[in-house]
Amino acid sequence: MDVNKSVQENKALGAQAQKKYKDLAMNIIRKYGIFLIFIAMCIVLSMLSPSFLKIRNLTIVVRQISIIAIVAMGVTMVIITGGIDLASGSVIALVSVMTAKFAHPNTYPVFVPVLVGLAIGSFTGMISGTIVAKGKIPPFIATLGMMTAARGAALLISDGKPIGDFSKEFEYIGGGHFLNVPVPILILIGVIILTHILLSSTKFGKYIYAIGGNENAAVVSGVNVDKVKIMLFTYAGLLSALASIIMTSRISSGQPGAGQGFELDAIASAVIGGTSLNGGIGTIPGTIVGALIIGVLNNGFDLLGINPYWQPIVKGAIIVGAVLLDERKNRSK
Amino acid sequence: MKKLLAVALVLVMCASLFAGCAPKAAEPAATPAAEPTKAPEKLKIGVAMSQFNDKWLSYMLDSMQEYSKGLTDVEVIYVDGKADVNTQLGQVETFIAQGCNAIVVNPVNTDATEPMTKAAKEAGVPLISVNRLFKNQDEATSYVGSESIKAGIMEMEYLAEKMGGKGNVAILVGDPGNEAAIKRTEGFKEVIKKYPDIKIVAEQIGMWQRDKGMSIMENWLQSDLKIDAVASNNDEMAIGALKAIEAAGKLGTILVGGVDATPDALEYMKAGKLNVTVFQDAAGQGVGAIKTAVAAAKGEKVEPIVWIPYELVKPEDVDKYIAKWQ
Repeated sequence: MDVNKSVQENKALGAQAQKKYKDLAMNIIRKYGIFLIFIAMCIVLSMLSPSFLKIRNLTIVVRQISIIAIVAMGVTMVIITGGIDLASGSVIALVSVMTAKFAHPNTYPVFVPVLVGLAIGSFTGMISGTIVAKGKIPPFIATLGMMTAARGAALLISDGKPIGDFSKEFEYIGGGHFLNVPVPILILIGVIILTHILLSSTKFGKYIYAIGGNENAAVVSGVNVDKVKIMLFTYAGLLSALASIIMTSRISSGQPGAGQGFELDAIASAVIGGTSLNGGIGTIPGTIVGALIIGVLNNGFDLLGINPYWQPIVKGAIIVGAVLLDERKNRSK
Repeated sequence: MKKLLAVALVLVMCASLFAGCAPKAAEPAATPAAEPTKAPEKLKIGVAMSQFNDKWLSYMLDSMQEYSKGLTDVEVIYVDGKADVNTQLGQVETFIAQGCNAIVVNPVNTDATEPMTKAAKEAGVPLISVNRLFKNQDEATSYVGSESIKAGIMEMEYLAEKMGGKGNVAILVGDPGNEAAIKRTEGFKEVIKKYPDIKIVAEQIGMWQRDKGMSIMENWLQSDLKIDAVASNNDEMAIGALKAIEAAGKLGTILVGGVDATPDALEYMKAGKLNVTVFQDAAGQGVGAIKTAVAAAKGEKVEPIVWIPYELVKPEDVDKYIAKWQ
């Protein structure tokens, strides 16, 4: 009898331990799922193509995603408050042509086009933010309006034509190297650190999560929600402008057609990285991994020469898969 | 400070709005009103442009106006459809009511031409489409324009010849939903089929965009693919590819071709970077359309399709084409 009992106990203990490990595994998947997927993708790709893991190739991947990743960080913050930003692609086009106008050689010093671009980007963000906060209009509508208007303004200012011929200093922003590292990557790292601190360690960041968690509660507890929203959209506009300046410099051309679909790639990066469209959840490192996944995917498809029509299908599957993970996260709370 | 900046920006935008559009809008209105008192036996031709505010189309319009000035027995009226289907339809109806003997349309939307062809047919007025093929082209009298597939064939033939008939080609495709992207790519492949030693090693979609072309080329350069030539659907993606090749220090080792002969592309060709592009002849199409319309108005038989050939732009005659844009 005793023996039987202890066997049963052991079984129960074993089952308990098994459950514990299962929970632990599930927890890891929930918490780091997207990081694991990213690592798995890298392993598979490095087996399929010997070129993939070369430092040069990885540098190129990071430089290619720098533009989308910078935009995506702003978009992530907006989504955390429960909003959405559709204007980023068009703002990129508007900033691109305006910056290009001031970037010709022997006209203005390089900080002039940069400041003009950043000012315009912030200004468009401020307008969207004000419309959302003071006009009580859903961000989807407000930024849809800005998306349409900014594209029109870009076409109007440029007369529909690309603007080229830049100074050497301006071309350095997107094409130059500092200590052997491409300048866009250095800018990206700077923005990641700044935005991560802003979101995780400042009052401003806490308010953003608070608004996304429960806007009414945030109002009641004394958060100036309108001000936070305006500041937030302004910052997102600033980041779009920065991305635009890098791109304009990189391709040596201010283009009114630039940035088409970038807003959706930015939103996809945020969502893949675990940002919840219901608000309140999301991190900068997550979004960066999201952007890296898209970048690695593009790179891998080009390296392996896979039929290009597969690329959007796989991308779509990953976006949906990531949100499935995200849903589970919400339920387990 | 922010408010001040806002006001300044709005002013700048408004100023550029007027600078950009006002003179252009005023200019065409003057043209038809110029000689209303001429003899009644003059033939009347109406030209409905999709929009005046487009760089390439403006060259076509200029050539039509230039050519029609020299015609003593024909009066040509030009109107701006402002990229709006309804506006354009109204203009075509007005032409018919005015008693035009032939109408030239550069359609705003090639899918929405049914009402125009119907109205013209009922009134018995010849209808000629220029540059953009109507979806129901067989209902119209004639089409004057270029054939997308030819651009692809010409570009690829030049590249194949420069490759010495062998090697690896990578293709940059525009927006795969566009007729031009589909047909130009088809043209590439038609040529490549003729060369057993030329292989397509990669094909990616660059959506006509320079930055996409650049990223794709960067990735290709990192891969194990050996690429001897890049055939691009347009110049913008070709320039992107060239920038990636230049950054990798491989300029001159890979042939690059595009289509459009844009001013930027001609600069790259002049600098010895771009190997070939294809010029779509705006003047040829414009003049061809007026000629066809005059013939149809006089009751002569016209061809249902008048192809205006593309022109291959090689580095040796780049200056001639740079002059065309000025």
